[in-house]
Amino acid sequence: MGNRASGLHVRIRQVAPIPIDADLRCGPGEVLALVGPSGSGKSTILRCIAGLHAPADGRITCGSEVWFDGEAGVRRSAGMRRVGLVFQSYALFPHLTALDNVREGMDDPDAASARGAARALLARVNLSGLEHRLPRQLSAGQQQRVAMARALARDPAVLLLDEPFSAVDRVTREKLYGELAGLRRDLNMPVILVTHDLDEAVMLADAMTLVSHGRTLQYGTPLEVMHRPVSAEVARLVGLRNVFAGSILAHDRQRGSTFVAWEGHRLEVALRDRIPIGTRVSWAVPSSGVLLMARDRPAGPLDNLIEARVGRLVHLGDQVRVVAWVDNEVSRPMSLAVPRHLAERYALAEGASLRLRLRGDAIHLMPGE
Amino acid sequence: MDWPALLLSLELAGATIAVLLPAGIWLGRALAWRQFRGKALVESLLALPLILPPTVLGFYLLVAMGGASGLGRAYSAMTGRTLTFSFEGLLVASVVFNVPFAVQPIQRAFEAVAPEVREAALVCGMSRWRLLRRIEIPLAWPGILSAAVLMFAHTLGEFGVVLMVGGNIPGETRTIAIAIYDRVQAFDTGAAGVMSAILLFVSLGAITLSYLTASRFGGLRRG
Amino acid sequence: MRAGTLLLLLALVFRGVGAAAGPPIVAAASDLQFALADVVAAFREQTGHEVKTVFGSSGHLFRQIEQGAPFELFFSADEDYVRRLAQGGRTVDAGAVYAIGRIGLFVPHGSTLKADGRLDDLRRALDEGRVTKFAIANPDHAPYGIRAREALQHAGLWRRLEPRLVFGENVSQAAQFAATGGAQGGIIAYSLAKAPPVAALGRFALIPEDWHQPLRQRVVLLRGAGDVAAAFYRFVQGANARAVFRAFGFETPEPLRPGRAPGGR
Repeated sequence: MGNRASGLHVRIRQVAPIPIDADLRCGPGEVLALVGPSGSGKSTILRCIAGLHAPADGRITCGSEVWFDGEAGVRRSAGMRRVGLVFQSYALFPHLTALDNVREGMDDPDAASARGAARALLARVNLSGLEHRLPRQLSAGQQQRVAMARALARDPAVLLLDEPFSAVDRVTREKLYGELAGLRRDLNMPVILVTHDLDEAVMLADAMTLVSHGRTLQYGTPLEVMHRPVSAEVARLVGLRNVFAGSILAHDRQRGSTFVAWEGHRLEVALRDRIPIGTRVSWAVPSSGVLLMARDRPAGPLDNLIEARVGRLVHLGDQVRVVAWVDNEVSRPMSLAVPRHLAERYALAEGASLRLRLRGDAIHLMPGE
Repeated sequence: MDWPALLLSLELAGATIAVLLPAGIWLGRALAWRQFRGKALVESLLALPLILPPTVLGFYLLVAMGGASGLGRAYSAMTGRTLTFSFEGLLVASVVFNVPFAVQPIQRAFEAVAPEVREAALVCGMSRWRLLRRIEIPLAWPGILSAAVLMFAHTLGEFGVVLMVGGNIPGETRTIAIAIYDRVQAFDTGAAGVMSAILLFVSLGAITLSYLTASRFGGLRRG
Repeated sequence: MRAGTLLLLLALVFRGVGAAAGPPIVAAASDLQFALADVVAAFREQTGHEVKTVFGSSGHLFRQIEQGAPFELFFSADEDYVRRLAQGGRTVDAGAVYAIGRIGLFVPHGSTLKADGRLDDLRRALDEGRVTKFAIANPDHAPYGIRAREALQHAGLWRRLEPRLVFGENVSQAAQFAATGGAQGGIIAYSLAKAPPVAALGRFALIPEDWHQPLRQRVVLLRGAGDVAAAFYRFVQGANARAVFRAFGFETPEPLRPGRAPGGR
């Protein structure tokens, strides 16, 4: 068991069978969410870390151990890496009891102490009393816990979770989130959680890496990545709908603002004076930064007023999702969410004209596409 | 009732299973898990004895093992016996014509084991041997049993190849199937009838056993 | 695999190798199917020794012997096969004629044919289209089949009958076909027709001897034969055995019938 202090470092490059260009790191005790849409290669990256797939090139180290090195020709087998992996389908051994499933995860499953240790692990994941059940006699949530216990049985150097909550209903999922959070306190190993659910990442992870088409695009805390995406592509991946192209007009240091030109508008945003004037930029504003503006109210600082016409309305519970055409141009759709009572007050209907207020401090600038 | 013939048949079936079952497990597993160029050709070759007329098979076996062949001569030099007209020769023939029954059911059974289950075992740090012993074989067990049962029943019933390669030597190559043929020619329908009935029940028992175990274990793998 | 299991497996596979010799195996033409069983029983009674028998067409057994089949004694229904084996060095000597066989027409009960040894009824039946299937031994390698063909050719019936022929692998199988309703009748060995299981199934009439080459049956010890086989070889030419052969319709060679030429094919 090597020194685990410096955590997991991953670099993977390959072209086939799936193109991957990924860089990751995760420290001991840290939970890193690996987030991306289906088919983005996150599972493949996880399998490379686990040792189930050897990438064409790259380097994977954990602590002082080198698990994979494309140049030096090092490739440690999955068993030798001591990873704990919870598969999306759990992959429990269907003919073994929960207890035996966990036992097989240990270094010496036939040792006299193995049964007791397995029992203790099952107790830790709240499955006491179910040791002698077969997987098909357990619910999905219970199977997931057995898979977790089995992954932990070996005191792994790294814990890998491949969309472990996707096959479970919402209520159970909430429960499992709580249990994972509880387990976390005792785990002092890097934990990588693959998920396509951003909310899950926000809830469970310390850091997040966004993956798309095999490329790792951004690393940071989940909130950072969601609110300060580094590119328009990331912005769209984290769910920002209002992404547009503009250019830098001017900086006003005294005012603390930068001015961005967009389709004839002059938008005032928080100062970013390092960007040269004239640079083409992408800018994004979350739906929460787009507000209805009463005609009689005066505009505040960093308020950008825009005229628009309601294009589409979708009632979703107590919210109304609105897509408005800015300047009545269908090519400039702006998404916003309006509480129902407000929508009623303003008598929002398709085709109605609107005045929108874009909050300049919510506008985020990124390099131009 | 020709008891030595029945005993000979049982010995032949038993020896065939003992030789071929481990090979079938190894081959079936390799074919289930690996992809390689020419895999379709290999699978076809292994399935060939199924569709080849027994006399064709018998002919080629005679060519390969008969007194004039290199193999036959070497064997005679070593042991003083011929490979044809001997139990050992029959065993060689039996192994050849049972290959499809040894490989195919086992290959299907291994294919039915979810790849992720194997991967989970590897991640757990299991050695290849433990993976085979503790996970793969127990999960593929219905297929293995099926293969054994099929080989048993098929060997007991094989006629054409046995006659060509083994002749009808009592105590050496006169299997129960040959004995039945022999008794019919001798106008001894009584004995032929008894032996046929025995073979019928043995075959029926074998196939029933095969279906029973398949259904009993079938649900397990879906868990 | 543990060593013990492996040894057991090897013992099972090579059970024959190096084993002490059991009773000798005797290859005999199928016309002796019933007669030889009685001779073997008499031998056992007299000497206490067992003999195992394998029956088939002489030609078939000849080929097996050439391929090294473990027989110690060969009863051929035809001298030619023995001569060829002797030429090939596979025999101890030239052997001895132990019997002369006869063929005849066999018709099962209820057949449209009559047991007419001169085959006139058969000719009439062919004319009237009453014959669909007729059984003989395979003339490619069975001596009784060859003689059946010669007799039919002599009677001028061969070409017309040929399309309706059913070939038995040996004369015993031909008798099977003829006796159990697969055919309207057939030409089989006299020795088979005399056996109770066959006789009960139909009627039989001898075909004249001079319609075909004689069936001089020769027995020979094969190279490597042991003492029991040699003793049986002698027994088979003795008075006891000759009596059995005669009971089954064979002629035995001690006093040659006047007018018959010795040797021959």
